[in-house]
Amino acid sequence: MIEAALILPAVLAAICILLGRRTRLVEAVSVAGAGSMLVLGLYLVFRVFDQGSLDEGIWYMDQFSGLMMLIIVLIGSLAMVYSVPYMRHELDSGEVNPKKVAYYYGFLFLFIFTMVLVVVSDNLGMVWIAVEATTLVSAFLVGFHNKATSLEATWKYLIICSIGISLALLGTIFIYASSLPILGEGSDLHWTSLMAVADQLDPAFLKIGFVLVLIGYGTKAGLAPMHTWLPDAHSQSPSPVSALLSGVLLNCAMYAVLRYHVLLTHSQLGGGFSSGLLLLFGLLSLGIAAAFIITQKDYKRLLAYSSIEHMGIISIGFGFGGYWGIFGGLLHMLNHSLTKALLFFGAGNVLQKYGTKNISEVRGLVRTMPFTAALLMLGALAITGSPPFSIFTSEIMVLTAGIDQGNILPAISYSLMLVVVFAAFMGHIVKMVFGEPPQGMEKGEISKMGLVPMIALAVMITIMGLFIPDVLADALRDIIALFGGLA
Amino acid sequence: MLTSLVQTLLILALSPLFTGLIRKLKAYFQGRQGASVLQPYWDLAKLFHKDSVVSQDASWIMTATPYVCMTAVIAASFMVPFITTSSLGFVGDLIVVVYLFGMMRFFMALAGLDAGSSFGGMGSSREMTVSAIVEPTILLSVFTMALISGTTDLSGMSQSLATTGFDLVRPALFLALAAFFISTLAENARVPVDNPSTHLELTMIHEAMVLEHSGKHLALMEWSSMTKLLLYLVIMANIFLPWGIDTDLTVLGLATGTVAIILKLLVFSLAIALVESSMAKMRLFRLPNLLTVSFSLSLLAVISYYIL
Amino acid sequence: MVSTLSLDAINTLAAMILLADFMLVASSRMRSLTRIFALQSLAMGGLAAVVAFETGAEHIYVIAVLSVALKAVVIPRFIDYITEKIQVNREVEPLIKIPGSLLICAAITILAYFVTEPIMELGTAITSNCLAISFATVLIGMFLMVSRKKAITQVIGLLVVENGVFLAAISTTYSMPMVVELGVFFDIFVGVVIMGIFAFRINRTFETVDSTVLRRLKD
Repeated sequence: MIEAALILPAVLAAICILLGRRTRLVEAVSVAGAGSMLVLGLYLVFRVFDQGSLDEGIWYMDQFSGLMMLIIVLIGSLAMVYSVPYMRHELDSGEVNPKKVAYYYGFLFLFIFTMVLVVVSDNLGMVWIAVEATTLVSAFLVGFHNKATSLEATWKYLIICSIGISLALLGTIFIYASSLPILGEGSDLHWTSLMAVADQLDPAFLKIGFVLVLIGYGTKAGLAPMHTWLPDAHSQSPSPVSALLSGVLLNCAMYAVLRYHVLLTHSQLGGGFSSGLLLLFGLLSLGIAAAFIITQKDYKRLLAYSSIEHMGIISIGFGFGGYWGIFGGLLHMLNHSLTKALLFFGAGNVLQKYGTKNISEVRGLVRTMPFTAALLMLGALAITGSPPFSIFTSEIMVLTAGIDQGNILPAISYSLMLVVVFAAFMGHIVKMVFGEPPQGMEKGEISKMGLVPMIALAVMITIMGLFIPDVLADALRDIIALFGGLA
Repeated sequence: MLTSLVQTLLILALSPLFTGLIRKLKAYFQGRQGASVLQPYWDLAKLFHKDSVVSQDASWIMTATPYVCMTAVIAASFMVPFITTSSLGFVGDLIVVVYLFGMMRFFMALAGLDAGSSFGGMGSSREMTVSAIVEPTILLSVFTMALISGTTDLSGMSQSLATTGFDLVRPALFLALAAFFISTLAENARVPVDNPSTHLELTMIHEAMVLEHSGKHLALMEWSSMTKLLLYLVIMANIFLPWGIDTDLTVLGLATGTVAIILKLLVFSLAIALVESSMAKMRLFRLPNLLTVSFSLSLLAVISYYIL
Repeated sequence: MVSTLSLDAINTLAAMILLADFMLVASSRMRSLTRIFALQSLAMGGLAAVVAFETGAEHIYVIAVLSVALKAVVIPRFIDYITEKIQVNREVEPLIKIPGSLLICAAITILAYFVTEPIMELGTAITSNCLAISFATVLIGMFLMVSRKKAITQVIGLLVVENGVFLAAISTTYSMPMVVELGVFFDIFVGVVIMGIFAFRINRTFETVDSTVLRRLKD
């Protein structure tokens, strides 16, 4: 069953590339493919949420993988749908040719394929291979425009992430080394088999292994101070790709770190070592992101730094730990993806309308593109943690966890930084939404189709802010049990 | 004691021969006929028949330097095992040897300055620049050998390595050997660091320092330099690759020792000749590259001794 | 029981790998960079082969052969091809001069030794003493990446880092499970090809492969 979820995007990628110049057909395949991917993915997710983990040899899905799968297929298919009007506009403006568009869709599916591979692989080595593959595949998407700036972003992305990832491989090797004396030659680096003997693994190996893995996958997850590639890559890639990078890829990398965190929690070391590190990196990311958000001049970079901030919050959530910390962290992964995708889609509309990424040159959105403006405003309120949207819930949960666990100082600085980010972020967005539009700017949306996924996302984050569906809440509780946060 | 004396005399007597041999081999590689291998002897003999001219501005250092240099190499010869390691007549270890060479260099540099000619000063300053990196390199590489063999006494180092067979061979040995080889080239003014066969003002290092010496003084300077080269080669042969050296003063041992050292010295002379005819002299500003390479080699040798 | 010959061979090959690190730092020509990298990979393959011989694990032979074929033959040729194709000049263009770089790398090696000392004591593998060298290789690879201007030298630095990781795998666990190892090779290969393509594009767009021109994006 899990294979199907892997094969589908891979086959769709091949079809898109083979279809080549027949753009309409490629679009049709993409949208239909996105739909079927969503259906299949949701089926798997609910199956796992409902009946517990699926173990199919080298593939393994538990509720945690299920949550990630949910994020991947949801954002993946919406980004696919949003890509249609976005790419049409690029085609019309002569930025790209039809052949490149086919490659774009092909690589988008391939990108989704690699991310699915990350979350369904049981083998931690395979997880590494898949994470590295996400970098390689998405490099083409980041460098899609072939402009000087996007090439620069791609190069940084490739080099920094590959370096980080090599450290993660080193960490994986140490974790493997810790299991060898116990499992012997039969050790296969499967997460499930490691978990079975977690309490016998050598603590010294686990420690250095986790540090390397955290730095390695943390690079990919955009944790400061290894985040330097992120604002460039996210701001230079096409908007649907930015949404995927921010909303899904960062979470996949975080997922990889957290798998090791679970392993450490169940080892002799206990959770203290790894959650301390997560808290440290989380606070650092939050602080650095806040500083850059204040002075930001480019709205796509603004969103990118906001992603660093939110990865920081997730990390802090798991760092605080406990029931609420883990609950908040998990929920925040989902909430952040949904909200950030909405914002990047909005930013894509603005970019295509105004032709600039400078905040100072974008004014009066509410007059030129009222729907986009409303959705962007809603998204901005949501991402900065205003009630009643979903991020508010998860951020409060994380704060509660901090106070519960007696981490008063980190909890205070966490809330202070959130306030700073709120003020700075909203300041930028309000300037863009209101004010006098530039001379000669016509009124009208880029496309109606582009608004559909945005509205869908807006509805989701609002509903999620009001109540959490039972099936999701139950699944989250199962994951919390996995993290040992129920006791 | 006697063996030490014999070895010292042998080293002093043979040193011009090996210099001549390297020149001959070089000539061969360059397709020339070249002078006889005995030419350095004739040169020295000729110089010894001439009077020394000393600049009137020069102080006693100028006159003393040739004797200091000669004394230093003779003293060093006493401590370096040549054919046999059973020459414990003199107390002195590798540190003394390295600093004897250091003293020799110091006086040569002083003499270069002393005569007051611009080339001398230039040569001295360059020599000191080079030796600033070369000296630690030599110390480190020989220290590596001391670590491996567990003693700083040169004869003891040679002996312990020669008698334990190949068990003590480690990667560190080869790294140290490589570093020492480069330092040998640098210390003895060979290509690519310096060119021993030219007097081109802009490039010379060693030749610039001895430019003001003449007659008997020059002969002593030349001879001590030749002996120094031979000593470096002998150290390379007997400290890093001591197999074959005599350790017990038997006739058979001495015979194999003699053959072994001659073979090793021939190989090293060949290596130097090959390097000199296949490489160009480096520009002075690129020299630090080469020298730091050799320094890091010797450092690597020490590190890898501990790691591996 | 492990034979002393194998141990000697392992130690010598490990020393060669470390030596290659320093030669990479010391070399000033692009060509010699790729050649030294090929030599290093060859030594790495040799080391894997010795380990395979000692442990009798056949899959390590496969890994050794693959490593040599890929990293000692295919990838260096590919990099040479790219270098020639985009006609970069042959100088390496270090940002930190070579003597300084060498001293820094010597310091890095010592650091790597002290960092790994506690882990080496844990290691049960016959090769566990190579761990310090693998750490040094990883760090020196990173140093190459930050201290050399050309985009292609950064790729070589990355490959050196990968070599270090590979050595770490061999020295602590006698390499990883086969499927993982194969996937890693595949990723490295694809990664190098993709980086080659982008180096090519960068050259076309900026008319240089000097990565210092990549300074437009900043806050």
